Amino acid sequence: MEDPPPLRIFYVEDNPLIVFHVEAMIEDLGHVFVGSAASFGEMVEMLRDLDVDGVLVDIDLADGRTGPAAAAWLHERGIPTLFVTGQELIAAEHLTALATVRKPVSAFDLAEKLQLLRDDRG
Amino acid sequence: MAANHGSLDWVLALAPYRRDADYLETLLSEHGIPVRRAEGMREIVAQLEESPGLFIATHEALNPDVIDVVRRHLLDQPDWSEMPLLILLDRAAPQARVRAELTAAWPRSRQIYYQRPVTTLELLSGVQSALLARLRQRDVRDHIAREVELRRELNHRVKNILASVTSIFEMTRRGAASLDHFAEDFAGRLTALANVHSALFQSGGEPMDLAQVVDLTFKPYRAGEQDRILTQGPAVTLHQEAATTLALCFHELATNALKYGALSRPEGRVSLSWGISSETPVLTIRWVESGGPPTSQPARTGYGTRYLRSALRNLFGAPPDILFRPEGLHCTISGPLSRAALKH
Repeated sequence: MEDPPPLRIFYVEDNPLIVFHVEAMIEDLGHVFVGSAASFGEMVEMLRDLDVDGVLVDIDLADGRTGPAAAAWLHERGIPTLFVTGQELIAAEHLTALATVRKPVSAFDLAEKLQLLRDDRG
Repeated sequence: MAANHGSLDWVLALAPYRRDADYLETLLSEHGIPVRRAEGMREIVAQLEESPGLFIATHEALNPDVIDVVRRHLLDQPDWSEMPLLILLDRAAPQARVRAELTAAWPRSRQIYYQRPVTTLELLSGVQSALLARLRQRDVRDHIAREVELRRELNHRVKNILASVTSIFEMTRRGAASLDHFAEDFAGRLTALANVHSALFQSGGEPMDLAQVVDLTFKPYRAGEQDRILTQGPAVTLHQEAATTLALCFHELATNALKYGALSRPEGRVSLSWGISSETPVLTIRWVESGGPPTSQPARTGYGTRYLRSALRNLFGAPPDILFRPEGLHCTISGPLSRAALKH
């Protein structure tokens, strides 16, 4: 049986040490980490030149509580999104993301939720 | 609630007799105190909801319904609030009884009683002192709001720092050959994070210069051997995130040099220099080791290399250039100055 192709993942998170850790976990799962942004604005700018299969988004970013707005922006463009946050209650108010990966991120939870991205991508 | 903030506080007046109401309104308005009148229960309830600075009522205004509405308003007050109530009684009124009744009906309130006819001076000073007390209450309200905000911010920061520590822990654990190695590397990384955090805190929100970040990182390695690490570069003001990231990168480079590179031998040297190109300013930082044992590309990518690549791509949009040359490690960090410098 052939392995499914790796997913190209982008991460919107303003703590570079969390990005460092999650990036390594994504690569360990066999996916491709294509980059990160610290704010909604930076994400929009960077995604212009990138081809992605899914985006992970924190709730609180460098430009404020803009994660939900970022997820809505991605949703409008048909890009599947996961929230990655310790604030599940806020994440649950927004149906623009497929699911929420809880912080601190575990490899198991991440793997399971990334599978949802793949299913959504079809 | 914020509607009254900064503006003059206002008085809610309940006086069924037009003459009384006009008198109050004229007198207070002349002294710059806005007055709103309320007639009918719905209007009274609506005005109370806007949190008056002072409630004035003549005795005849206080029918059982009004007393009850005020009572409910007082019971619903937030902790900081104790609305002052000024009651104008008639000479003929059973004063002791009225006071006893209202004190029982209105808990947590500051009540002031006057007997009509009241002199202008008396009434004005009573009103002003009550409004001043109310102003203090609103100050307390603002302090509470600020404290709530600070606590939220503190919570956010603590969570963030714990998340940083968790990441360092997990990533250090991956590459650790033994518990001793793990403990040493983990402690070193936490100390580097703590040092830059302290420096940023002590600067009290002031921006940090790249040279300060460099000094901070190399202080432990410079005891008595100042000239082994040569640092040079122009003033570059960094924002907090950039200062933290660069401090942690320098820590990784320094500990690597100490274990395997130039600083593992007495004759080894490190040159750390930085500069800014003039057009569309690009910051370039060069770490060059020499005089150490010959280096070669390690078989597996360690924490340091991985961290530098991730964090610097995050900061500058491009990973650093890390070369394991026979004469020593070269690392070139380069990216738009605007992404690391404090925005003005």
